[in-house]
Amino acid sequence: MSVIVVIEDNRDNARLVAKLLRPAGHQVLLAEDGETGLMTVFENRPDLVLVDLGLPDIDGQTVVGMIRQQPGLERTPLVACTAWPEETALDMAHAYGCDGVITKPIDTRAFVARINDYLRHSGPRA
Amino acid sequence: MTAELVARSLSYHTAVPASLFNFEQLAAIYNEARVDYIVPMPMNAPRMEAYVREHDVDLNASVVALNRDDAPIGLGMLGLRGARGWITRLGVMPAHRGHHSGEFIMRTLLQNAVERAAARLQLEVIIGNEPAYRLFLKLGFQPVRELRVIRRPPGRPNPGLPAPDAVIVPLRPDEIAPYLNSRTPGAAWIEETRSILHAGKLKGFAVQLPSGQGGWMIFQCTLFQLAHFVLSTEDEDTAYALLHSLHQQYPAQDTKVENIPADDPLWPVFQRIGYVEAFRRIEMALPLA
Repeated sequence: MSVIVVIEDNRDNARLVAKLLRPAGHQVLLAEDGETGLMTVFENRPDLVLVDLGLPDIDGQTVVGMIRQQPGLERTPLVACTAWPEETALDMAHAYGCDGVITKPIDTRAFVARINDYLRHSGPRA
Repeated sequence: MTAELVARSLSYHTAVPASLFNFEQLAAIYNEARVDYIVPMPMNAPRMEAYVREHDVDLNASVVALNRDDAPIGLGMLGLRGARGWITRLGVMPAHRGHHSGEFIMRTLLQNAVERAAARLQLEVIIGNEPAYRLFLKLGFQPVRELRVIRRPPGRPNPGLPAPDAVIVPLRPDEIAPYLNSRTPGAAWIEETRSILHAGKLKGFAVQLPSGQGGWMIFQCTLFQLAHFVLSTEDEDTAYALLHSLHQQYPAQDTKVENIPADDPLWPVFQRIGYVEAFRRIEMALPLA
């Protein structure tokens, strides 16, 4: 079982993600703003973080930047989830050190496989 | 809008001042209206309150559109600075589009601006938001310039970049406002001196190069983010020294710089220091006088 923190302000999206990941055996911790998300990540040291780039308090890129700087979390897989145009999202995600991008609306058929893929290909944890 | 459309539009909506709602409600209406926006930028209540305060948004002149059941379906905000007005946060909830609600809100804001003696209106629209752009053109707005929103993740400058040979002198807090008041006008609305002073948490420093060139920069420094940059120079070496020194001093913060002109000659210097473009906006204006 992997621990996955989902930082997503849209409750429908958050519920959808949890509904997809939990039956696949993952523990999902939901946070609906950037500050709560950072605290949840720092306290739980998850195996993967899924971050919406548009958050209502601290924006998603800043959240990613803060996580990446935290000792011990430098190699935790970070996946941006966004409705941005794919090219822009990829540029942002790459610049901020994300491991990948999942664009909205989420493709529910491929979502779990993609998350499992990011988990499998993450490097050894610091 | 034709008379028939006006009548149909008025039968569908009414507009009430945004001041009738609290910031929690305004943030909720805004977020719902922008849920499928090209670059979603949701806000919570404190962020909405700060936005209104920093950018001189007049909530009595701003509007929330209601449907026949008096339920909010969209909003638009009007900032006022002297004889200039600024339209922002325009949005219609997806379920209520197709009834000319955006145009209804815009025309109400235009009327409110005229009633408050605004001689010129301005706004920005994200490139790619074609429906909004077409609406603004239809209402008489003309494009003025393109603006970039740029980002830089936390971290010191790349070690491969040479450290500038510069003397760095911090600005005292009491020097910040006079320096800002000395800048050349022309910034986008949210980067004007009033917005920056309202935003607060400002720091600044000056650099002097051996060549005799020099300049200063002022910026907002919060726990997580650097923002609201003002660079006093057009010289690339000086800008390089300022930006390199900034990120050497503040490696922990993410950086977001909004609405620098797309033709800013210093953009290559920003890129060299690690900035990337997030998206662009078009600034548009409409003379009212």
